[in-house]
Amino acid sequence: MFTVIAVAPVVLVTLLIGLRGVAAMRTTSDFLVASRGVSPLLNSAAVSGEYLSAASFLGVAGLMVKDGVGALWYPVGFAAGYLVMLVLVAAPMRRSGAVTVPDFVEARLASPALRRLAAIVVLMICALYLVPQFRTAGLVLMAISDTPYWVGVVIAGASVSATLALGGMRAATYVQAFQFVLKLVLFIVPALWLVLQTSAATQDEALRPVGFTEFATDTPVSFENDVVLRIPTATTVQTDDGQQRVLPAGTVQVAEDETLHFPQGAQVPRVQGLPELGGSDWSGPLLNLRDAGYPMLGTIAVLLATVLGTMGLPHVLMRFHTSSDGRAARRTAAFTVVLLGLFYLFPAIYGALGRVLVPELYLSGMTDSVVVALPARVDPSWVGTMFTALLTAGAFAAFLATSLGLLLALSGAISHDLVPGGLRQLRITVVLAAVVVVLLAFAARQLDAGILVTWGFTVAAATFCPLLVLGIWWSRLTATGAIWGVLVGLGVTSTGILITLFGPAVAGWLGILAAQPAPLAVPLAFLTMVLVSLRGRPPSWAMTAMLRLHLDERHDARPGRSLPGRSRTDRSTWLTRRWSTARRKGRRLVR
Amino acid sequence: MAGAKRVTVMSPSTRLAHARRRVRGRWRVPRLDPADAERALALYRAQRARGVAALVLLAALLFGLPVLLSGWATLEQWRLVGIPMSWLALLVPYPVMMLLAAWQLRRAERIEDS
Repeated sequence: MFTVIAVAPVVLVTLLIGLRGVAAMRTTSDFLVASRGVSPLLNSAAVSGEYLSAASFLGVAGLMVKDGVGALWYPVGFAAGYLVMLVLVAAPMRRSGAVTVPDFVEARLASPALRRLAAIVVLMICALYLVPQFRTAGLVLMAISDTPYWVGVVIAGASVSATLALGGMRAATYVQAFQFVLKLVLFIVPALWLVLQTSAATQDEALRPVGFTEFATDTPVSFENDVVLRIPTATTVQTDDGQQRVLPAGTVQVAEDETLHFPQGAQVPRVQGLPELGGSDWSGPLLNLRDAGYPMLGTIAVLLATVLGTMGLPHVLMRFHTSSDGRAARRTAAFTVVLLGLFYLFPAIYGALGRVLVPELYLSGMTDSVVVALPARVDPSWVGTMFTALLTAGAFAAFLATSLGLLLALSGAISHDLVPGGLRQLRITVVLAAVVVVLLAFAARQLDAGILVTWGFTVAAATFCPLLVLGIWWSRLTATGAIWGVLVGLGVTSTGILITLFGPAVAGWLGILAAQPAPLAVPLAFLTMVLVSLRGRPPSWAMTAMLRLHLDERHDARPGRSLPGRSRTDRSTWLTRRWSTARRKGRRLVR
Repeated sequence: MAGAKRVTVMSPSTRLAHARRRVRGRWRVPRLDPADAERALALYRAQRARGVAALVLLAALLFGLPVLLSGWATLEQWRLVGIPMSWLALLVPYPVMMLLAAWQLRRAERIEDS
């Protein structure tokens, strides 16, 4: 009941702000980029609000319980991505005058084939990222209020698509900015409350991790996913219907929806592919991915995927187009580094306390619910319930905000780049896309959401990152080179992930490269683009096309302060040229 | 009133523009004014130099820290108000990156102001 009271306002406010955005919507430019009138501070709040998905709100603390302290490298990479964006992409991207990434690609390389390829990559990244969001919505509501899985998914899909179809980017901007503030408060306040509320002994335990080897009390563990356990010695457990079951020493496959009651003093099994909870691998500062024993490679792989992947996420790039000019876009990126840095100081608190207070989640594989499960464990009274409700509301805000941006980028790719059409078609596309994603989310309940998000990030890092970096900073890039680079990046990444999902188990460093293909895919994509481009010849206008991206708009912004030595006639021809460009771009957008 | 078709009021030229198919496909990149081209080239070179410096610093931070942490195992024994130093080291990048962002933003804007 508490949860409904907490989640309902978030959904309602989202819808209300969406309705407010309807008034001033006439063109696709209004719909896709809020007609470029968003100030840097508002925009960076919206970028952060959009970016702090369920993966950040719930996932980071969960990963910390699962993979160890080294999982805190994920948020470091997430925040660092915006610094790279600030340096390399933000201003030139905005100055291209494009509305979506495929638009930008066409403006720079003038290749319709590449534009379509880029649009397909946008579709793929958005789908890979959107499905886990909806899935988490379903799972969180299911865990809290006993509603079936599909209800949460449908609620999420309906509220997101309604807001977007009505209000477009303008509504999304205000919703996301509002939800960033909401998330920040709803994350930090419970964290501080938890620190104050836990006893000194618990805190000391949290800070001095010891291996989780023996159950301290009788512990029921309900498995929500299939998990492979390694049992050290034969253990007798009780199933839900009161029967005794002996788990033999060795590996045991536990099926979904099973509940096992481990007696006090029983030895804790290890989970296949994870380090021992609280062991020395767990508390080490590097990320021992898949328990493979290559912490350095694991850490670097995750950093590469998150830093460079952030740069290529289409919904984030789209947000930069809503800035009024290149300078505002750059400021947006800088503010975002600060805002995200503030937020990411706190997941560690949930992770460290979660290891001590809810260790059974490590076994059941439901580590994503650590954040929501903690308050009730600390304080079983109504106060704990209230904080659980607040955190659930925050989590819901998290996937609403992220889904808004992703669905917008997805619809933009379909209805602006692949099958160009007007405003009405965009609105219909939003709803249709949401329906398809909801259906996909039904099917994806069993999949590990983390793998899908990694896939999305790595595809972004291996396709759009080289495309943007080389497109903006290297005039010799050719359309052929770009196409081959994108294909190689896409191919290598997807091969690795598909092997991890469905192929034979790969051990050691090869297994890490398959699960986190960024260290392989990104250099290969860069190399392909450079080598193929060097074999071809860039068109004569390539240098101009690149330099345009670096020309600042200050003449427009401050007409009184024209450059010294620029004569009057000079200025008028320059203005005419600028205006004709604007008109031509306008023709392509309006309608 | 019921059944009457609603018509958008617009100027004849707007109607014409809306009726026309939108221009798609290849288009030539517009030329740059010579003075602008010169300025753009100067800006491009200056931003590239500053950008590379910032990226090198960031890479040193992000890839240097894991190397440092893996080579310096005793760091896990040291504690600050009870928290292991090696855990605190994972929070260090945030303030550093904020400073780096502010520094890079100022430098990038200063180039364009000149």
